[in-house]
Amino acid sequence: MHNFIPSLLGAFGVFTTTLAQVSTPPGASTALDRIANANKPTFADVRESVAKQYEEEGPLPTEKYFHESRFHHHYDDRFANSTLPEEQVIPHLIALVQAYLKTMRAIGAETWIMHGTLLAWWWNQKIFPWDNDLDVQVTEPTIHFLADYHNFTDHHFEIPGVDGGRTYLLEINPNHVVKTTEDWLNVIDGRWIDKSSGLFIDITAVRPDVAKRASGHPEALMCKDKHRYKESDIFPLRNSYFEGVPVRIPYNYAGVLREEYGSRSLTNTEFWG
Amino acid sequence: MSSHGNTYSYESDSNSDIEDSRHLNQASPALNHQKDSPRPLIDSVRNAWQTRSNPSYDLLSSGTRADTEKHPHSVQMALTVVSAPRFRRYVVVYLSLFLLCLATWKWILYPRLQERNTLLRALDPATAEESGGWFGSSSPPALDGLILMKNLNPELIPDALGESDGQTKSRKRLVIVGDVHGCKDALLALLDQVEFSAKEGDHLIFTGDIINKGPDSSGVVDLAREKSASCVRGNHEDRILLLRHEMERTKALDGPQKGDKQIYSSKQLRERELARSLSKKQVEWLEQCPVILNIGRIPTMGQVVVVHGGLVPGLELEEQDPASVMTMRTIDVDTHLPSPESNGLSWAKMFDKHQSILFKSLQTAKEDPLSRTITAVYGHDAKTGLKIRTYTKGLDSGCVKGGKLTALVIEDGGKQSLVQVRCRDYTSG
Repeated sequence: MHNFIPSLLGAFGVFTTTLAQVSTPPGASTALDRIANANKPTFADVRESVAKQYEEEGPLPTEKYFHESRFHHHYDDRFANSTLPEEQVIPHLIALVQAYLKTMRAIGAETWIMHGTLLAWWWNQKIFPWDNDLDVQVTEPTIHFLADYHNFTDHHFEIPGVDGGRTYLLEINPNHVVKTTEDWLNVIDGRWIDKSSGLFIDITAVRPDVAKRASGHPEALMCKDKHRYKESDIFPLRNSYFEGVPVRIPYNYAGVLREEYGSRSLTNTEFWG
Repeated sequence: MSSHGNTYSYESDSNSDIEDSRHLNQASPALNHQKDSPRPLIDSVRNAWQTRSNPSYDLLSSGTRADTEKHPHSVQMALTVVSAPRFRRYVVVYLSLFLLCLATWKWILYPRLQERNTLLRALDPATAEESGGWFGSSSPPALDGLILMKNLNPELIPDALGESDGQTKSRKRLVIVGDVHGCKDALLALLDQVEFSAKEGDHLIFTGDIINKGPDSSGVVDLAREKSASCVRGNHEDRILLLRHEMERTKALDGPQKGDKQIYSSKQLRERELARSLSKKQVEWLEQCPVILNIGRIPTMGQVVVVHGGLVPGLELEEQDPASVMTMRTIDVDTHLPSPESNGLSWAKMFDKHQSILFKSLQTAKEDPLSRTITAVYGHDAKTGLKIRTYTKGLDSGCVKGGKLTALVIEDGGKQSLVQVRCRDYTSG
C-alpha cells in the first residue's frame, strides 16, 4: 500500500525532469537552481519513508542488470564505443563526480565517497591521476528514494570549456530491492553515467546486516558487494571537499581506510607506485 | 635430649629396646631409681634387635649396605650434602632468588628495554624510510564545520615567579579538567576543592568529552559557559554535534519519530536524545571549541597544548589530522598512524620520549630548550587512567564510571599540582 503513492510521484519526477531537460540551461549553477525549483521531490519532502525497515522483495535475479562493456569495464557501452584518450579521462571524471555530488546535494540524497575515492580524498582531496573509476555509497532509504523518484533522470551541466555541456544519467538497478549478498550479479545498486563518454560512478547501497544484528551486533551494516561496516564508523557523516565541491565523508575515515587498505596506504607516499 | 641421656642405664627391667623411647617421655619417674641400682651402663645393653626378626630393621640395614656398595665415595658425599637440612635451606633460598631475578627480568626489565627500543625505533628517521613515510606525509584532510586550532588569550597564562609577587598581587591559575561526561556534581565538587575563582585570575579548561554518558550534559555545558571556560572538541562533542546537524537537516529535532526504535540501537537513541536536548546556545558554545587549544608558553613548562585524544609526535599542530587528534590512544611504530585502539604503543609514551630527546638535543644549543618543547594535556584514555609524564598529562580518570575527576592546576611559575574528587558510578542503574 506504501508503494502506490511513491510510484505515482516517481512518474511525476521523471516527467518534470524530462520536461526541464528540453530547454538547455545556460550555466551549471542555473542548472542546479532549475533542479531545485523544478518541483523535483527532495529527500526531505518524502521523509516519512526514512524510519522504515526495507523488506527483501522478489526472487533472486538470474541476470546481471549493469553489463560490463565490451571494450573496458569502466565504460558503459550503451553510450560509447571506445575509451577516451588518456589525458581526457581525469577531466571527465572530475566533472562527473562534481555533477554527481552537486545533484545529490540538491535533491537531498545522502551520499558519501568510499574505497579508492576516499583514499584519494585522504591524500589530496582530489581524484588520483591514475584513477579511472569512482565509488560512492548511499543508505538504503536513499537508494529507494532515488529509485522511486529519480530513476532514469537526465541531469545537464554546463562545464567550462566543454561545448554544449554534458548530460548525466542516473540509473538505479531494479534489483536494489534484493538485499542478499547471494545476488552477486547485481552488487552495484546504481550508476551515474556520463552520456558523452560512457564513464560512470558506481553507487552502492549500505544496508542493515539483519543476520549479524540478530546475533548481537546492533550496528552491523553491509553492502551487496560483501563489504561490512559498523554504523558508528560511517555515521554521522563528516563534511569536507572533494575536487572543490562539498562532499560527505565517513565518520571514522582513517579507521575505514586502514581496515580496507592497511596503515601504509595512509602514510606511504610510494604506496601505489 | 641430652639431659635425659643417663636415665637409659637404669632401665634394667625393661626387656625391649623399643621401650626406650617410652621412657624418654617419662623422664622424671626414671630419675627416682637412680640411687637404687648403680650398675654400669654396658650391662643394660641388649642386642635384642639382632636376635629378634624385625622386618623394618632388616630392610633398613640391607638397604644401606647395598647403597654403599653401589656408589663411589664422592657420590655418597654428595648425597650426604644434598640430604643435609642446611643445603636444602640454601636450595630454597637460591631458587627463590633466581626466580625473583627471572621475574624481574621478564616482567620489568625486559619490557622496559623492549619499550625503549621500540620508542627509539619508532622515532628513528630510518624507520620512516623503511616503511615508506610517516603519518602526515599527506596534507591533512580539511574537515568542514570544526575549528582545528585556537590560541588561549595570553592574559590568562600564569606568569613567571617574581613578576607577580610585586606590588600588583595578580594570581593566575589554569585549572585543566579531564573528561566530565555530564557529571555536574563531581565538577562542582572539584571546583569547590580547588577554590576556583575566575575573579581572582583562575581560568577553567576542559580536555573535551564534557557531554554524553553521564546524567547532566547540558548542565555541564551551562556551567562551563557561566565560568567562561575553554574546551577542546572531544569525540563525544564531535559525534553529538555532527548528529545534531544531521537531525536539523532531516528535521528530526522536534521529537522521536515513528519507527526510530526499530532502526536505531539503544546507544544511538540516547545520542539522538542528547543531540535533541541541547539548546541552540549550548550547541554554539560547543561548536566554537577547537580540536587543539594552544595555551602558549608557561614559565618552566614551555609550550602547553590541550587536546582530547592526542598528538602525533613530530608533526606541526597545523598538520595534525583532526579526527585522529580527537580519538587516538595508540600509534603505529612503523608508520606513526594513530589509532583509537587501546592495544599497542601509547601515543603519549612516544610523544614524551620524542620531546625529551628534543629537549636533550637542545640543551647544548644556546637557546632555551623549553622554547621548542610541547607539553600535551589530554583526556580520552580512561582505561589507562591518570597518567602524568613530563611532556604528557593524561587526565581522564574515569569519573563517569565511578572513578575520579581530575584537575591539573598550573600556577604562577609553572607549579603543577593535581586535585581529585571521587565520583559515584553514573553508568550503573
